Amino acid sequence: MTPEQQAAAEDEKQGLAAEYVLGTLDAAEARAVRDNPAMAVAVADWEARLAPLLVLMPPEAPPPDLWARIEQTLGGPAPVASAMRIPWFSRFWAVGATAVAAGLAVLMVTQRPEPAPLMTVLLTSQEAPAFLVEADRGGEIRLAALNNQVVPEGRVRELWALPMGATAPTSLGLVPADGRISVRPASIRPEPGMLIEITLEPPGGSPIGRPTGPILFIGRLLPARGT
Amino acid sequence: MTEKSLAMLLVDVSNGERNALRGIYQRQNVRLFGVANAVLRDRDQAADALHNAFINIQRRASQYDPTRGAPEAWLAAIARYAALDILRARGREMPSDDPALGDTPVEPEALVALESQENGTRLRACLEELPEKNRRGIVLAFVHGFSHPQIAAKLELPLGTVKAWIRRGLLSLRECMA
Repeated sequence: MTPEQQAAAEDEKQGLAAEYVLGTLDAAEARAVRDNPAMAVAVADWEARLAPLLVLMPPEAPPPDLWARIEQTLGGPAPVASAMRIPWFSRFWAVGATAVAAGLAVLMVTQRPEPAPLMTVLLTSQEAPAFLVEADRGGEIRLAALNNQVVPEGRVRELWALPMGATAPTSLGLVPADGRISVRPASIRPEPGMLIEITLEPPGGSPIGRPTGPILFIGRLLPARGT
Repeated sequence: MTEKSLAMLLVDVSNGERNALRGIYQRQNVRLFGVANAVLRDRDQAADALHNAFINIQRRASQYDPTRGAPEAWLAAIARYAALDILRARGREMPSDDPALGDTPVEPEALVALESQENGTRLRACLEELPEKNRRGIVLAFVHGFSHPQIAAKLELPLGTVKAWIRRGLLSLRECMA
């Protein structure tokens, strides 16, 4: 392709992605864009680009029974609510539990706003997202694998934090096979700019208290956007 | 402990945690229903759209990429697409005879609201650089799900002109925001 043809092809791709996100494509065109993996990045970028327009759509409460409908479609309600035929006293219990949950929800909503939690996404060397990390200002750090990979036989993944200005990282523990861990380190507090990294270590973790193996993933904590 | 972020809840949903989807619903239902209802202007159909949206959120949670945008924007996009699908099935390829359709103010002054959003100041500035009818067409399509023929009727422009303008307007938005 000549550079001109390439530019025209890129414009066509961007135009289609933009019209898909805008909503002006007809049903068949929209389906074609949606089902084409090669369009996914352009579509996600247009969603982010036009997202501020969402503020022009006023919030409105849905009908109160909508969640029950969604739950039904997804294969019936979760255990606590599936109590149609159980004895009245158990049902009473379930209602009580729901009321407690509702009370908790109110509590959560009326809390004073706290500083935004911190987050980062650890990327692979190919820049694919590998782990989502978030941290409360209170001290808890949570990690969840986005595309969990199998760890090489005889090796473990160890999680580390390096506060700004510190000379050596602190171990936060080993990452379990399912890629999910939640820790509250005693000696450090999460702060913006703190580096989070995962290294490959021998069984049981690094024997010397600092990373010995290659860094698999690394990222820097920053205040979360949105909520 | 502060509550989990929406992004983390989405990871939980993709790991099959039933209560995570409920958590997302509890936090976002009012905003997302508003999105569907702005497009459909019909509460029953907006409820159908939000229902379908949450089925899709459950199915596609693993596709959310936190490096490309905020979870709020991703969720709202799914709700908008679900509403647009219903709108397409309802038939919108003809100009509507509903006189009130699209009379919600989307004038330049209304775009001030964008500035409260992340990157909203930049999007507003770039929209302001477009010709007025072009800007209105883009906003009507995004907020109210207008089709090309409906925009053409509303703005009293030929259909072909509207299609070309909107395409060009979107591409210059991209350039302006780069």
